[in-house]
Amino acid sequence: MLTAVRNQCKVIFLSIKYALMRELLNKTTFISNIIFMILNNSSMIVQWIVLFSIKDNFGGYTLKHVILLIGISSSLYGFAHFFFEKSFKLSETINSGKLDAYIVQPKNILLSTITSDIQVSALGDLSFGLIAYFIYGFTIRGFILYSLFTITGGIILVCISVILHSLSFWFSNADAGADTFNGMMINVSTYPDSIFKGIVKWLLFTIIPVGIANYIPVKVMVSFNPYLLLINVGVCLLFILLAFTIFYRGLKRYSSTNLMVARV
Amino acid sequence: MAVIEVKGLSKTFKVKLKDKGFKGSLKAMVKPKYKTVNAVRDISFTVDKGEIIAFIGPNGAGKSTTIKMMTSILFPDQGSIKILDFDPKKDRKKLSYEIGTVFGQKEQLWTHLTPYDNFKFFGAIYDIPEKAVEKKIDELKMLFELDEFINTPVRNLSLGQRIRCEIVASLIHNPKILFLDEPTIGLDPVVKENIRSLIKRMNKEYKTTIFLTSHDVGDIEKLCKRVIIINNGQIVLDDSMDNLKYHYLNKKIVEAKMKERVNLDDEDGITILKDKGYNLKIEVDTTKRSVADAIKLLNPDNIIDINISNIPLEDIISSIYQNKDQL
Amino acid sequence: MKKYWFIIKTEIMSNLQYRFDVIFGFVSYFILLFILFNLWRYLYSDTSGLINGYSMAQMMWYVVMTEILWMTLGGRKFNTKICNDVKTGNITYNINKPYSYIGYSLSMHLGDILVKGVLYVLIGMLIGFIFLGHFPSLSIIEIIVVIIASILATIISIFIIMALGLISFFIEDATPFYWVYSKLILILGTIFPIEYFPTVLQKVLNFSPIYVVSYGPAKLFVDFSWDKAITIIGAQLIYLVITYGICKLIYQKGVKRISVNGG
Repeated sequence: MLTAVRNQCKVIFLSIKYALMRELLNKTTFISNIIFMILNNSSMIVQWIVLFSIKDNFGGYTLKHVILLIGISSSLYGFAHFFFEKSFKLSETINSGKLDAYIVQPKNILLSTITSDIQVSALGDLSFGLIAYFIYGFTIRGFILYSLFTITGGIILVCISVILHSLSFWFSNADAGADTFNGMMINVSTYPDSIFKGIVKWLLFTIIPVGIANYIPVKVMVSFNPYLLLINVGVCLLFILLAFTIFYRGLKRYSSTNLMVARV
Repeated sequence: MAVIEVKGLSKTFKVKLKDKGFKGSLKAMVKPKYKTVNAVRDISFTVDKGEIIAFIGPNGAGKSTTIKMMTSILFPDQGSIKILDFDPKKDRKKLSYEIGTVFGQKEQLWTHLTPYDNFKFFGAIYDIPEKAVEKKIDELKMLFELDEFINTPVRNLSLGQRIRCEIVASLIHNPKILFLDEPTIGLDPVVKENIRSLIKRMNKEYKTTIFLTSHDVGDIEKLCKRVIIINNGQIVLDDSMDNLKYHYLNKKIVEAKMKERVNLDDEDGITILKDKGYNLKIEVDTTKRSVADAIKLLNPDNIIDINISNIPLEDIISSIYQNKDQL
Repeated sequence: MKKYWFIIKTEIMSNLQYRFDVIFGFVSYFILLFILFNLWRYLYSDTSGLINGYSMAQMMWYVVMTEILWMTLGGRKFNTKICNDVKTGNITYNINKPYSYIGYSLSMHLGDILVKGVLYVLIGMLIGFIFLGHFPSLSIIEIIVVIIASILATIISIFIIMALGLISFFIEDATPFYWVYSKLILILGTIFPIEYFPTVLQKVLNFSPIYVVSYGPAKLFVDFSWDKAITIIGAQLIYLVITYGICKLIYQKGVKRISVNGG
């Protein structure tokens, strides 16, 4: 069991290394992608500086807190898209029959598939997240929490995407829905939860788990709360379970190639 | 010893029917219509260790579906598959250590890496220790003559070189069975010939069982001792290459160029295929009449030129496709 | 002019085949507006008056309008197309055709987005009405002026994005230029009217493309005056000429470069 895990990790590591080598073939593009993404994300901070010039407190969030929120949001986005880029394009892999290649390998199908490519600009998101964290204020303890939340939140993001894209085993248009949902999570996650009320707020801590992946980390880092931390980690584990269950359930319906889309 | 046992295998696909245009899309959304396609219907066969077997049939006959069920990619609806005592449905991982796959149209290599790095990657996928991989790569490098380009990025290789690398990549883990799906598709005749002889050499060297699909009669003729022909999801022929040839090759084609016009009619054992006066083409059924007899009928003194040949395998196979109902 | 109209028409026809992705586009649009509505409601919750000269309703209609312009534009798709045309060398096939590449791409894209634009207007108005319960009060003529300003804004945007895409002639990957541009528009031109920024910045913004491609039409929509209409449309016409000129210049330089280097 332990060797199996080690071997799986070795393959994932190699696969990411090779993908990175491919991207590094063109260093200018590589670096400009990262830098532009950092600039791109910085614009969110500009937006909040303007907003805080009107009002100095958004339901408990000061500018520093919002910067932390944006930092965490882009870090976990960067983590998810760098290591697991293919989970955001899973539908295409399923519909085009490219899953075949992973099924014939003696490795975990889902893990091998979603780690088979990287997104370079995600490194920009990760770096921006770190910069934002340093602006917020560095402590060792805080940094450990920050790293943990980047990973758990990133995994939640990946799992949701896997679940939604796995629906293409059943429905042919699942990808558009999955992209919309993923996009919505990103959009919402750069605004503090205090501007939402009622049922929306409730949704954000349940079906659309932005609350758990993005808001809880801010609350825990601002004032430590072990219960919230546990909820974050627990929900992350729950989503891993769900993602694997749904993906493998769908895999039984996998039909490879394009037999499904015969037209009259 | 049988390494592949397939019994009563069936698979149906539900295909969504969609009318053309926007209206059709809407209709399909509200009330989808399905058509059931029997891709594979109750097929059974066994393959012994070390065999090279050709699995052929026209497009859509069920070849790929069968191969995909044997390699765990698809789940069968009915029937059982045993490959080296593994059930592909249940023992995907264990089975995958024992089989290799090359799907001609789907590349599994990283194109920006050299073949060598690619092979190392496959070594990691199959948990082979570093030293063992290097030894294996050396061995296969010799066998498949990769020396010239083993350190050139794959994207700079020719199609023939790539296919050789694809095959080597699928052999890194010493599979007992190799599934080759259209390995020579799109290659020129010289390269095809080269790939075939390499496959043959590999089969001799490692005693690897090879399960091959191809549209290319040359592949089948040169490589395989046994042929399974599948059409409309059913096996229409499962026989040795020799038998197939014997059954169909007892017919000879005689083409003759004559000094004088001959008048010849169809007789028992002789069918006239083409008669242009001085140029004749006849088919002789050697079970009924010897070739010598046929030539006597033509009057040997009058023959300027003569050519006696077998019926091309390609024609044999297509006649089998067409006569499936009679078989 | 007729041939360009024909290109527009063909594009519209081929785009009438609407599918799921368009419907989901509307969902994204709704979500975006919903988030911003929440933001404004929160911002205005303890003042009943104006912030920087805008009432809450005006702010919301402002966002509805700028988002209609932005979502209709389909900038990313267009930018990718231009970049690909340059990279694949498709652009050179157009050199010896009896129309200009710039005019051709403009008409193509206008045709591509026209129907989408109308749908976004309808949906935007509907969402705004649901949230606010009324429309901005405009006369028919004023509405026509707003529509003209919006169309001009869209054409200028297309020229700007085209120019950014044509940079691919000179560097390998020009998409980051579009990202930065789009972020600038989104942050400085979509969410806040220019009046929200510090005075120094306001002066700069008044001369920037943001004034003509997003602030202008939206401002007219929520706070119409003939003075402003004349200034804005005048500025748009100047920008139209300048951006077209820039596209033409980059295109000519680029094509020359290709014929020298052989692609």
